Amino acid sequence: MRKVLLGIAVLALISVGLAQPFVWPNAWIADSEGVQMGGTFRDYEVSEVRTFNPFVTAESTGVSNLAFQGASLLTRGPDSDEWLPYAAKSFTISDDGLVVDVVLRDGLVWSDGTPITVQDYFFTYQAETDADVGSNSYDSWFIGEDQITLEITGDNSLRFTFPKSDRTALGVVALTPWPDHVLGEIYRSGAAEALIAAWGTEANLAEFVGSGPFIPSEYRAGERVLFVKNPTYGQWNVDEAGNALPYMDGYNFAVVESADAALNLYLAGEIDSFSPRNLDDIGVINVAVQNGDIAATVLENISPVASSQFITFNWNKASNPFLQTTFRNVDFRRAMSYLTDREAMVDLVYGGSASPAYSSVYAVMDYWINPDVAKYDYDPEAAAALLRDIGFTSKNSDGILVDAEGNALKFILATNAGNSQREQIAQIFADSAREIGVDVEVQPIEFSVLVDQLLSEGDDRPYDAILIGLTGGNRDYPFGSNVIPCGTNLHMFNTSGSCIAVEEQLMTKLYYQGRQSLDTPTARDIGFQIQKVEAELQPIVYTVSPAAHYSWLNSVGGAHPDGLINSIVGSREIPLTYLKQ
Amino acid sequence: MIPYIIRRIIHLIPTFIGATLLAFIISQLVPGDFLNAMRLSPDVRPETIARLEQSFGLDRPWYTQYFLWMGSLLKFDLGQSFGGNQPVSAVITKPILNSLILVVISLIMLYAIAIPLGVFSAVRQYSFADQVISAISYFGLAIPNFFFAQVLILCIFLFRGFTREYFDHNQLLLPVAQMTSSNYNELSSLAKFKDILWHALMPAFVVATSGIAGLTRILRGQMIEQLSSDYIRTARSKGLDERKINYKHALRIAIIPFVATIGALLPGLIGGAGLVEIVVSWPGITPTLLQALTAQDIYVVLGFLVISTLLLMLGNLISDLLLAVVDPRIRYN
Repeated sequence: MRKVLLGIAVLALISVGLAQPFVWPNAWIADSEGVQMGGTFRDYEVSEVRTFNPFVTAESTGVSNLAFQGASLLTRGPDSDEWLPYAAKSFTISDDGLVVDVVLRDGLVWSDGTPITVQDYFFTYQAETDADVGSNSYDSWFIGEDQITLEITGDNSLRFTFPKSDRTALGVVALTPWPDHVLGEIYRSGAAEALIAAWGTEANLAEFVGSGPFIPSEYRAGERVLFVKNPTYGQWNVDEAGNALPYMDGYNFAVVESADAALNLYLAGEIDSFSPRNLDDIGVINVAVQNGDIAATVLENISPVASSQFITFNWNKASNPFLQTTFRNVDFRRAMSYLTDREAMVDLVYGGSASPAYSSVYAVMDYWINPDVAKYDYDPEAAAALLRDIGFTSKNSDGILVDAEGNALKFILATNAGNSQREQIAQIFADSAREIGVDVEVQPIEFSVLVDQLLSEGDDRPYDAILIGLTGGNRDYPFGSNVIPCGTNLHMFNTSGSCIAVEEQLMTKLYYQGRQSLDTPTARDIGFQIQKVEAELQPIVYTVSPAAHYSWLNSVGGAHPDGLINSIVGSREIPLTYLKQ
Repeated sequence: MIPYIIRRIIHLIPTFIGATLLAFIISQLVPGDFLNAMRLSPDVRPETIARLEQSFGLDRPWYTQYFLWMGSLLKFDLGQSFGGNQPVSAVITKPILNSLILVVISLIMLYAIAIPLGVFSAVRQYSFADQVISAISYFGLAIPNFFFAQVLILCIFLFRGFTREYFDHNQLLLPVAQMTSSNYNELSSLAKFKDILWHALMPAFVVATSGIAGLTRILRGQMIEQLSSDYIRTARSKGLDERKINYKHALRIAIIPFVATIGALLPGLIGGAGLVEIVVSWPGITPTLLQALTAQDIYVVLGFLVISTLLLMLGNLISDLLLAVVDPRIRYN
């Protein structure tokens, strides 16, 4: 008996030895020297937690990102946008980009100790592509009308087949599995309805089985969510020294109703990190640090946030032919771009913690930004000259520019009421415009009304110009699929359904061309061309991007090295975060 | 009495239908819907939005949505929240209970502070103490709750700096956010109760202050009127104890107008404590309602509305009946 046991132990050791865990590089953290084990991280969450069901969740919050993190086939480090094999041992993309073959890593385990197999991935694929389940990932499995398929090709190999080559679709290969022996059973016995009903916020979290570093253990509505270390995660996730990950024993979220309340908790020393929204928050934290209330690190102006703010002019204004013609005139829009005093906006609105923006690509995605595009920096004289060229040669008794027919150059710039930064940006624009005789009336209106106007379609839409922002998007190809091509719903300046300017046609063509290319440098070259055309056409005048800031207590270690922190990858990887005792 | 109550209850039905219909129409008049945030995303496929519109029923005309909702309401089902596949009842129950904790504690504080203060002010009319109480009352009446809560939070932080300097003690006097401590789960039931009470102290006091001011002023006026009436003079001339005169005779009559307002407390109890809940992150009704309003999660909003409409109607009925009990001049037939 003893010999048998010994034999089993030896076999187990060999299999552990054979199983190659994923090694988290030291280069991803700034201070890999002082790593310590144990402790519970205290984070916060401003939005309400709605579900622990991976097929129901529809949002990206701190809690959902941690709960639904797991043995995804691919992953990305903070240092590059390239996909790395993670739960996959390796993956190969066919030359035509239509087939991706994946070999599973050995030794993958669920939090309950059951091995993770190809069947788990296949069940997840089945559930995600079931329209009755209605998973948030459902649509990512389609390119146009055609579905991406997944098949099991061996004991530990999977094959993804794409209907056509598409770099934005590669993300589906980074599939995170859910346990076939738990959720798969529920799905097979009770179909989609039973699967959706599982693992809600009312459910017993002891039933939760996952593959991420931490597993949710308790949820108190509106108060906190507690996570405990997944004991099996370290079997296939180690650091370079061979330590099992994650370092910490637990991860808690305090659910708060506003960022102000979170700041108060941070100042009280009750949470370990806080993302300052602006210089006011940073000022408060700095004072607390000086007074000795908390010992904290503050990183100011780390990178631009991953969002854009811009002015869009309405090209579909059949009821006002004068404004329609003016807004469709490229020289008018270039003049408006010249009138956008981005430096003043950075200084006056954000106290210097922002940067000028010139492209639909968020400034933080510097790899994708074409530096050599027309910029139209603040130059009121150039603006006045352009307006003169298009016929605004004289001024009326109010000092407003008029054309030969006597039409005065005036329009309404709407923005969302209550967003004081946007109201100020709009006012700065209006003030510079007024100086050369363009009458811009700033009109703050209710956000839902504004969005309604922006998303309206057809030849006669209700607004003149709108100042608004977009957020979200794609790291593989940061050009909005709903923004760039004509006829899409966020092609905001022209929603008539078809292209008006030839440049729009060109941009649409380039967009799809780049999206097809799986070779990143090629896609980037095409992206550069899109930005060049966009900058010349100025269909949308980009203004400024505020900066992202970070802060954490000095008892927290394992942040990214300074150069790697930005608003896309954040300040740390949770498995590599540790607490100094 | 019984036929009167039945008649009142029957009258409630059209009122209720009217109120919910009006609320539903108003919620539909607001441009956009729950999916607006998604429509503003550069990469969400239009198919996704169409699919969700269909599954939420947002593609149907509003009257169809109303009748479907009314139909489920008759089965005591408040509908489904758009976020996270939860029934509305599950979304709103916890916040209602949490708000109830805060509101009940503040009501206790309110009566415990305001009644003695009001009586005292009336008995010592125009004394220095009366004037101080008046001044503080007006202050409480004038200062907005959410602002007062922020001022108190600031004071708590300043006090920590003070105690650290002089007593080497780096703890906050009172919690500044949330309803429970982070180690709440490890506490015994008694300690859990104390923990919530401890967290509720500051916000409940803030909520109570605005009420204290009004109540003290009105009670003072009522008491002064009673104290100068004939029956009090009679009682005094009989040589009755002054305390008995104030509390047993004058206060009992002076308090009658407040009984009429007790019914209005019922919807107030679940109306939540207002913006204070947001300032101190109390997981009550206001934050949930505000989140639902901004996200246009209409069935959650309507769920709160249905509950408070019902309680308002019930509260009115109760206070009418209570009035008949305390005031013998009122009879219902």
